[in-house]
Amino acid sequence: MKLLAVVAFVACVGSVLALWPLPRSLETGSTALKLAPAFDIHLNIAHPPSDLESAVSRTKSFLKDDKLGRLVVGRGASDATAAQHAKTLHTLELSLGHGAPVRSITDEARLTIGTRSEGYTLHIPADGSTATLSANSTLGLFRGLTTFEQLWYAYSGQVYTIEAPISIADSPAYPFRGFMLDTSRNYFPVSDIKRTLDAMSWVKMSQFHWHVVDSQSFPLEVPGFTELASKGAYSPTMVYSPSDVQEIVSYAGARGIDVMVEIDTPGHTAIISAAYPEHIACPEASPWSTFANEPPAGQLRLASPATTNFTADLLAAVARMFPSSIMSTGGDELNTECYAQDPKTQADLKATGRTLEQALDVFTRTTHAAIRAEGKTPAVWEEMVLDHNVTLSNDTVVLVWISSANAAAVAAKNFRLVHGPSDYFYLDCGAGEWIGDDVANSWCDPFKTWQKSYTFDPLANISESQAHLVLGGEQLLWTEQSGPENLDSIVWPRAASSAEVFWTGPRGNLSTALPRLHDLAFRMRQRGVKAIQLQPMWCALRPGKCNIDS
Amino acid sequence: MAHKYHLLAMFLGTFANYVVALWPIPRSISTGTVPLKLSSAFTIHLQAEFSDPPSDLLSAISRARSRLSSDRFERLVIGRGATDAQAIQSAHVLTSLNLALLPGSPIRSIAEESTRAIDTKSESYELSVPNDLAVATLTANSTLGLLRGLTTFEQLWYDYKGTKYMLNGPVQITDNPAFPYRGFSFDTSRNFYPVSDVLRTLDAMSWVKLSILYWHIIDSQSFPLDVEAFPELAEKGAYSTDEVYTREDIKQIIQYANERGIDVVMEMDSPGHTTAISAAHPEHIACAAKSPWSKYASEPPAGQLRIASPSTLSFARAMFDSVAATLPGTMMSSGGDEVNLPCWEEDEQTMADLAARNISIADALNEFVQTVQGVITDHGKVPFIKSDMVLTHNVPVVNDTVVVVWQTSEDAAAVAERGLRFIHQPSNYFYLDCGAGDWLGDNILGNSWCDPFKTWQRAYSFDPYANLTAAQHGLVLGGQMPIWSEQSSPENLDPIVWPRLAAGAEVFWTGASLPDGSSHPNETSGTRALARLNELRYRFVDRGVNAIALQPKWCALRPGECDLDS
Repeated sequence: MKLLAVVAFVACVGSVLALWPLPRSLETGSTALKLAPAFDIHLNIAHPPSDLESAVSRTKSFLKDDKLGRLVVGRGASDATAAQHAKTLHTLELSLGHGAPVRSITDEARLTIGTRSEGYTLHIPADGSTATLSANSTLGLFRGLTTFEQLWYAYSGQVYTIEAPISIADSPAYPFRGFMLDTSRNYFPVSDIKRTLDAMSWVKMSQFHWHVVDSQSFPLEVPGFTELASKGAYSPTMVYSPSDVQEIVSYAGARGIDVMVEIDTPGHTAIISAAYPEHIACPEASPWSTFANEPPAGQLRLASPATTNFTADLLAAVARMFPSSIMSTGGDELNTECYAQDPKTQADLKATGRTLEQALDVFTRTTHAAIRAEGKTPAVWEEMVLDHNVTLSNDTVVLVWISSANAAAVAAKNFRLVHGPSDYFYLDCGAGEWIGDDVANSWCDPFKTWQKSYTFDPLANISESQAHLVLGGEQLLWTEQSGPENLDSIVWPRAASSAEVFWTGPRGNLSTALPRLHDLAFRMRQRGVKAIQLQPMWCALRPGKCNIDS
Repeated sequence: MAHKYHLLAMFLGTFANYVVALWPIPRSISTGTVPLKLSSAFTIHLQAEFSDPPSDLLSAISRARSRLSSDRFERLVIGRGATDAQAIQSAHVLTSLNLALLPGSPIRSIAEESTRAIDTKSESYELSVPNDLAVATLTANSTLGLLRGLTTFEQLWYDYKGTKYMLNGPVQITDNPAFPYRGFSFDTSRNFYPVSDVLRTLDAMSWVKLSILYWHIIDSQSFPLDVEAFPELAEKGAYSTDEVYTREDIKQIIQYANERGIDVVMEMDSPGHTTAISAAHPEHIACAAKSPWSKYASEPPAGQLRIASPSTLSFARAMFDSVAATLPGTMMSSGGDEVNLPCWEEDEQTMADLAARNISIADALNEFVQTVQGVITDHGKVPFIKSDMVLTHNVPVVNDTVVVVWQTSEDAAAVAERGLRFIHQPSNYFYLDCGAGDWLGDNILGNSWCDPFKTWQRAYSFDPYANLTAAQHGLVLGGQMPIWSEQSSPENLDPIVWPRLAAGAEVFWTGASLPDGSSHPNETSGTRALARLNELRYRFVDRGVNAIALQPKWCALRPGECDLDS
């Protein structure tokens, strides 16, 4: 990938382009250009897929409704004259490269990770002649539309830029740019997930990692296993039905996002005992701290053939609900004491003559075979390769979470990996302990600021020959202390930080990133996502003035 | 406080699952085990002597009735309200609540009672909810006390399919606050909040019996207050014309607050934290937006009133006068935190003024404080001042001044030693904004200055009498938790404030001992409070306030099971 970064705003902090993530190659001028009142987007594609047409129509709405005043004192009043006399852009023309297949955005977004085509080029002449957006896939066109939407400010009815001509050649540094949401500790309605998917698409994220169930509740209605939700959800209204799932994956797909569902196993499954007590060891055993990392305790009886088959069938049934080619079987925080004190598990081990590790291996091979049979590549948490001796196929994707320092060890084992390290990317840290009578800080203190996430290096301690193993990364929201009430405010704009790290690449300039991140947060708010203020508005209007040395 | 406390059986300690969803917990409460429910025709009556009841009392009753009908909060147990279906069916029916003032009590509006001098307010009430009669009774010696009692009454009930019931009848409550000043300090300058956000916050405050909105309305970043005498301050100093509190807005907000038992203490922070004034009146501000800001201010932008300038003094006098005249309450603050000496020392005009008048910066500061406190007292109001003005700068203050202790809880004793009344607002217990990282642009890995995040447990463990002698206890008026808005805005107002602010509300309402006789705070008070606080949080969400989850719902439904050792 060529890096032709001619980044105009470094020298000129007063007039940043409000782009996030920053394109990998960007040239800008200093001419004002405005959108015609009748500005239109032409699809130079015969029989365009309907999700591309919808994307174009969303872009046109955003161009009209964003009304983002430039973040300077006066909010664009100083640009009024220039905008008034500016040339007018009437048309953006979209076209696919010669011979490119015409598939829906959804289909492109669900291609195997590593084979998706997200690149695009965008040219906006300063003289008002037609702007062009071209790509080799509808997904690339969609990414380009997202960029195009971010180029414009509004002042007094004029939608304008002061940096024409603009020339962008862009493609992501990493294919996996994700966000993980835990919907088990506390439940989130479908509308919250859809709004989150919208926001993710605005920063070109490609992967929604849905940690849908855990020990606390089972909000997923799985055909053939409906009792899991009817007995394990917090309430009948706190369930994702198959049609909800269908709606969510379609919504995501149309926005360039693939949905990787996770059914965390064999740990983090206590709630399965509500419907299937026979499959769970140490359910709600006390003291929980002996048997689990957090209450309630409870793990699948991995040594039991019946439980192993149950789990394989369950995972296969879930796999059939999700069109993605990747699915996570979890595998974090396995507690051995839970099994040591479970007579059933001990009897099963004895009957088969296996150690716990051997039983885990059989369990994992069986469950992975089940989802492979449904066409899925398995993803697992890092312990499955670092702490346990489990047979995993080479293409398994490993999610690094405990510490950024563990990525190198995963790479050394030649597994593809996704970065989700708690020391950089956990959005829930820093709000104090949630355990009832513990007045300590959160286990992963301190709060991970956007700056901290932004300084993440995906290739730290990873050799050049292993670099291809890094698929990307994600920021994660575990929801022990979150719910619909603070979803937007705890996630945005911080989660945009990794979106840029994994699209543009690491080592971005923090000082010039901040004004762009303000732009993004203001735009998100205008679009109905409650992104928090990173600074007093006084600072947002005066880039650089609230730096520590200014 | 001459009430006798009946320390009767409390459920909290023994039956964690049978939580009475009251917050703050009344100072004396006894409960039974009889299920009670409200009749579908349940009414609230005012006793006959209210021939002409104050309209805000009628509104309070109407709000209570409306919540008793619209609240959908179900008991936090596995199975929720359905668990209680049988008990509800056979529950004793209550048809009405009677409100009465004690003989000889004056009939004044809630608003009038709420704005009386802080140490003369009457908030006490007695509530009797019987299991053998159809009528519950609420008595008080003021309409404000009746409001507090109504607030308690509303919290007694769970909903199940539209029926309001409880399991703990009969209930007998005798209650009054340990401290009269129970506040929330709200910064609307760093980022602006629309009036609707302020009103919603006032509602939520009233649900936990908070008594004061301390409104840090202006600061160096923006001036969103429309001052009658100087309209240009907001015209030029607000973030935008939409981000201004007009005089109508202020009036509406104060009225709304007062009717809900909340007095408003407006803070015009000065002489520091005033840069935004320079947009309209550059002549009054020294070191305006001067660089490097860190030399001249605690945060950007730098800028302070020219305290040595006679014309700035008259300006300050006129500004305070104009604002004070619009405030019905008996308190007003001139702030006074974080004044920066180099700002003045390097300001030519200030140095010239000092030389011409042959006074020092300390003299000028004294004169400034005396001037603005003078305006406040001239308007019949008690002046508030920030603790560093007294402790760091040794500025003489008016005798009945109330000091806002903010830098650290340790400072309270030093203020008490000077014999001054004070409120607790210590950053090491009560600051709601701590722990979200530094907000300065390029302080990459900096934490917030007051790290870590102040959990509700931390706030709840605060002891208002720590390090004070018994003789000094009378100086403690109460306390408040503040939100400073550098990293907050309408987007996260509810989740960053609630339910944590409720911790402070209970510390200062319920005071040093819980009704079961145990001391508060103590090592385990947080644990026992959590079940109630979870209930409050779910009730808030039901009422439209986005209070955050403190735990997974699994834990909220199983009090105690997510404790460290369970």
